[in-house]
Amino acid sequence: MNKKTGVYICSGCEIGKCIDIDALANIAKNEYNTECCINHSFLCNDEGIGIIKKDIAEKKLDAVVIAACSSRVNTSEFSFENNVIIERVNLREQVVWCHPPNDEDTQMLAEDTLRMGIAKTMSILNPEPFIGENLSSDILVIGGGITGITSAIEAAKAGYKIYLVEKSDKLGGWANNLYKQLPQKYPYQQLENPIISDKISEIEKFNNIDIFTSSEIKEISGQPGMFEILISQNGKDKNFRAGSIVMATGWKPYDATKLTEFGYGRFKNIITNVEMEHLAKENNIIKPSDGKPVNSVLFIQCAGSRDNKHLPYCSNFCCGTSLKQAKYIRDFNAESSVFIIYKDIRTPGHYENFYKEIQNDEQIFLTKGDVVDISEENEELIVTVDNTLFDEQIQIKVDLIVLATGMTPANSEELNLNYRLGKGLPLLKYNFPDSHFICFPYETRRTGIYAAGALREPMDITSSIEDAAGATLKAIQCIEATKRGESVHPRSGDKSYPDLYLERCTDCKRCTEECPFGAYDETEKGTPLPNPNRCRRCGICLGACPERIINFSDFSINSISSMIKAVNIPDEFEEKPRVLVFVCENDAYPAFDMAGFKRLQYSAYVRIIPVRCIGSVNNVWISDALSQGFDGILQIGCKPGENYQCHFINGSELTEKRGENISETLEKMMLEPERIKTEFLEINEYHRIPEIINDYIEIIEDIGPNPFKEI
Amino acid sequence: MQCGTCSVICNLSPAEKPFPRKEMIWAGWGLKDKLLSDPDIWLCLQCGDCTTTCPRGVKPGDVLASLRNFSYLHYARPKFLAKLLSKPKYLPVVIAIPIIFILTIIYFAGTLTIPEGVVNYSKFFPHLYLNISFSILLFLMIIGMIKSIKVFQKDLKKNTAFKKHKNSLLRCFISAIKEILTHEKFNKCRYHKYRYYTHLMVFWGFIILLIVTIFAIIAVVFFEYPLSLWNPVKIASNFAAFLLFTGLTVMIYNRIVNKSFAGNSNYMDWVFLISIYLLVISGVFVQIARFQNWTIAYHLYTLHLVLDWFVIIYAPYTKFGHFIYRTIAMTYAKYVGRE
Repeated sequence: MNKKTGVYICSGCEIGKCIDIDALANIAKNEYNTECCINHSFLCNDEGIGIIKKDIAEKKLDAVVIAACSSRVNTSEFSFENNVIIERVNLREQVVWCHPPNDEDTQMLAEDTLRMGIAKTMSILNPEPFIGENLSSDILVIGGGITGITSAIEAAKAGYKIYLVEKSDKLGGWANNLYKQLPQKYPYQQLENPIISDKISEIEKFNNIDIFTSSEIKEISGQPGMFEILISQNGKDKNFRAGSIVMATGWKPYDATKLTEFGYGRFKNIITNVEMEHLAKENNIIKPSDGKPVNSVLFIQCAGSRDNKHLPYCSNFCCGTSLKQAKYIRDFNAESSVFIIYKDIRTPGHYENFYKEIQNDEQIFLTKGDVVDISEENEELIVTVDNTLFDEQIQIKVDLIVLATGMTPANSEELNLNYRLGKGLPLLKYNFPDSHFICFPYETRRTGIYAAGALREPMDITSSIEDAAGATLKAIQCIEATKRGESVHPRSGDKSYPDLYLERCTDCKRCTEECPFGAYDETEKGTPLPNPNRCRRCGICLGACPERIINFSDFSINSISSMIKAVNIPDEFEEKPRVLVFVCENDAYPAFDMAGFKRLQYSAYVRIIPVRCIGSVNNVWISDALSQGFDGILQIGCKPGENYQCHFINGSELTEKRGENISETLEKMMLEPERIKTEFLEINEYHRIPEIINDYIEIIEDIGPNPFKEI
Repeated sequence: MQCGTCSVICNLSPAEKPFPRKEMIWAGWGLKDKLLSDPDIWLCLQCGDCTTTCPRGVKPGDVLASLRNFSYLHYARPKFLAKLLSKPKYLPVVIAIPIIFILTIIYFAGTLTIPEGVVNYSKFFPHLYLNISFSILLFLMIIGMIKSIKVFQKDLKKNTAFKKHKNSLLRCFISAIKEILTHEKFNKCRYHKYRYYTHLMVFWGFIILLIVTIFAIIAVVFFEYPLSLWNPVKIASNFAAFLLFTGLTVMIYNRIVNKSFAGNSNYMDWVFLISIYLLVISGVFVQIARFQNWTIAYHLYTLHLVLDWFVIIYAPYTKFGHFIYRTIAMTYAKYVGRE
């Protein structure tokens, strides 16, 4: 399709001083026959932008190519009416700032970069959003504990209708079992009555919250905006449609019977913190063995927590809970004494004030230490503690031992998703379903389903309340973005979505299996059934598809191929190798920009193509590049593994796996395996870029030119 | 919080089992026996470095100070004297004791009237009576002190935390004395240097006065009393008075104004400080009164004597006792290799 394209080249920010702008303009005019090509010394000021706007209006441009700075800067300046395609050619950060000025190779790089930009513009379309039918703005909240109730209240206040589904016959969840709660208000020194009853009476005031108790989810299908929910209340089925889902099914205490090293089950007078709360709730703190009153209690902190044999993580709430229980044990019985044996006392935030208050009680004894032995003698438990603060082993005789056990997440299979990739949420570190705890809290790997509260990570009531509000905002954001046909996150506002040319599909299931977000369902035959609203637009399916039938309107097999083909490859006698670099847009591309800010210099033999995710690189591009005459291909993705930084979870891992297939391709083409290399770069590792690039160029120079150059 | 900043910041704390962190933990758990038999509480010079740097607002310096105050009570023999001195309500009694005592002696000396003519204190309180009665009391005080020391030593030995006996006791004692004379350790404190200077002044003021007093007792034989202002003995004692007055003034000022680092001062601190302060001031006035022939000279002299006896005789039972306990603890610490 022929587009009316305007090319605008900025000569500000040293660009004009370092490269020949007129030569660039000639390329646009002569090679691509663009509608117009204008040089300006300060394109992002009012005058420069005025010129572009005027041209768009008068010359009826379909596309503008702005050859200036990185697309990551001046985004609001260079934004025009929706129907105009805007392509930014990065002459500043990735050309003039990191290559020698007025140099032949720098000039060639600038020219190729412009060619790639124009070629891409010619081969893409402005996306038309997918907007589903009968979109629902209602929110399903699963779990009627403190998190679920708060989430429902917050969403109701924002004007949304909520369906709250609770398994048991009344609302409240774990919080119902509490005798007292840690202080929530200044000066954070006194225990308070649990706030759950206030919350329950508050939720009943809202008429836009439908509460289903004694209910469970039978099936969820569909996608954001169009979730079909089937629940069963006391055996009776009910169904409704919801726009997004907040999952707040909470936690289970760690199974104390596994804690044999702390004598649980062996001695009757060893209980868990949950059992302690029950005793207190009944106003009856007694020895389970004989029902006699308790005069001394010892708490063992981190019982099974921060311990690789049990739970390797800190559950966050146990320290505060033990301090709380110590306090009320002392309030019940002024003669009692309480010992707390800890690894560290962790009382985040205002709870530190409560900890200080507890330290002021002279009958509460705290020490760091390891419990090495527990025995029983004359109805007393004798606890031997080593590595104490006293620098010696001590023995303490007590009536009762409380094990401060940790939290484990509830089973997310209760969602009963009718998805190709399973009923529940994919579990990540420590089996919690959060998708990325730093960048994208609340998100799970199922778009439109947000985890909140102790299901997401161990937390107490105060944090759960905050968490509920955060997840609810995400759920609302999802509903609104879906209404506009936009991606929610991380590519917020992206209107493109995968378009499948199913006639040519071979039902190989690569897309349905590799999608990290389970966006595809499948027919029985294995043909993909896309759910655009579940899609995060990462393009991993595009990268996976061997038939190349998956494309986005502005990111396609064709658009990248035409960029690759736009590069002028010098013949082998010029001794100017060319290396194609696919960079992840999320981490590697900004890192290249930062290298530019820092004026780090690297070889000008590279040609950089940003991709949505390194997992979206299709093998066809690699063979295109090799047949085009590129001497090497470098793929730079985000950090994979346990502490992955990939926005799309496993793009980098997929690239590594696909590497095997690529070697086959190379073998077929009789090429050296070194011609393709994958690197992982964290966003802050811009200083590594010159080393990565220059080392690779050296390898390529050693291997020699690509034999396909002559063809 | 168990950050250990207090022990790290302290320049006096030994590398092995440093104080005051372990003392704070013992105190938290109420382990009285461990604390009382701990020589470390006496190694602390209460410079306030730990209290100043504690991120938690805990005051280890104050805790050790009150542990020392508790020790005066605990080790004092006879105990009732220490008890009398520790409570404000007994203050009239403890003041009355030296007054009655002095008046009784003067009564028996037969000089219980204000003498006429040029002021000459020996007319009021003959030197012989003064020296003999004072020496007897001093002797009694020393007996009490020795008894206290014995209990203290026994407790120190009970302490099993430190066992490495490797040094000669005498050498340790001499080294401790040397340290005390130079205030070498005191100079290591970081934040509140004034304490080094003030204590050095007060300490040497006392030492000079002690020497002068001993000399004065012997000198009755050689010099004609009263001494003239330019007598070397008088010059030395006036210099000492100056040191004491200046040092004490700064100490008292900081205790009132800068509580944050000078620490909280309790009754025992004040009894000790004020009594020596008044002793010094009254001493100076007694001297002025003599040269100026003031009529209240003899009243001042009586006051001065009362204060003098108060300070000296009660020494083991007040905070003054620190010179005994510290010397012993410092020697012991060296003896068990805590340096």
